[in-house]
Amino acid sequence: MIGTSSALAGAVVLLVLILVWVRAEAKSRHLSAVRDEWLPDQDGPVEKCPPEFVSRIFSSQDLAYISELESPVLKRQFLRERNAVALLWVQQTTAAIRRIMQHHLEASRRSRDIEVTVEVRIFLQYAQLRFICGVLFLLIGLAGPHRLQGMALRADKLTQRIGSVLSEFECGNRTRELDGVRFS
Amino acid sequence: MSAAVKLVPVQDAYDDLLNRSLSRISCELGRLIYLASTRDYNTGNYYHEGLASRFSPEVARKALEIAHRQAFYKVSAFALEDLVSDLETYLRASRENPADFLRMWQKLEPYRIAIPTDVNVTVARLLTSNLRLALAILRFRQEPSQSRR
Repeated sequence: MIGTSSALAGAVVLLVLILVWVRAEAKSRHLSAVRDEWLPDQDGPVEKCPPEFVSRIFSSQDLAYISELESPVLKRQFLRERNAVALLWVQQTTAAIRRIMQHHLEASRRSRDIEVTVEVRIFLQYAQLRFICGVLFLLIGLAGPHRLQGMALRADKLTQRIGSVLSEFECGNRTRELDGVRFS
Repeated sequence: MSAAVKLVPVQDAYDDLLNRSLSRISCELGRLIYLASTRDYNTGNYYHEGLASRFSPEVARKALEIAHRQAFYKVSAFALEDLVSDLETYLRASRENPADFLRMWQKLEPYRIAIPTDVNVTVARLLTSNLRLALAILRFRQEPSQSRR
């Protein structure tokens, strides 16, 4: 009996999560496609979002200011606008890290001496980041960005860390290749 | 060596722009809109006659581009409350009727042209989103209290 009810509860939770995910996905796609299609080209060279802006997007300061105005209409508009910006940031971070990893995979394929421990560490960080982005994507609509600042900053830090580990890795590869050319 | 030689006049042109033109504008949003207006809509190149004659068109273009990006990131980093107050200063400086100004800005969204090319898309979105909110807040403040809810 307990097993059946737990399974049912689990299924309901899973269903809710899927619904929230689908809603967030549809909302972010709709918002980025309809409202601001005139924004800078997203497929071209992408400038990184500076950490102070991540902090600002997920800060509770603006919400506190809006709440003081005591207007439900303004508060709704604020939450809608800020959720859209936060979802865009998550999308951009996910896309950026996916691009970095694809680039790394291509470099690894060309490399002759791959260090397994380094690769495992990079993969684990990548998996952790993708997980955090997934959770953020889900929770932004449910809890609002202002409650997720810590998680967003952690994701941002992880993105930077992976980026720097991979650029070190590429530098090392290039040096080894040059050494190989020099001594062959 | 050549890069260092080139950077000095750009810095001089930038300082000149800051001292002669930008310092006369009373708010950051005004500076951003002004700098965006020096960009040609067709080519995306920046041009400022006085600056180009004092330095060179190329140096002036670079200085304007740098100043535009800096102004953009500065305004984008504002807390909503600060942006509302900056927008209010801009509105007062325009000497337009506040109600007409707010209605037109909400309708036409002229601040769209204030975004430099190749900046981070999330930051650009944050700025336009905050400006939409700032306009709504200023309109809300103008409305009589009984029609607010």
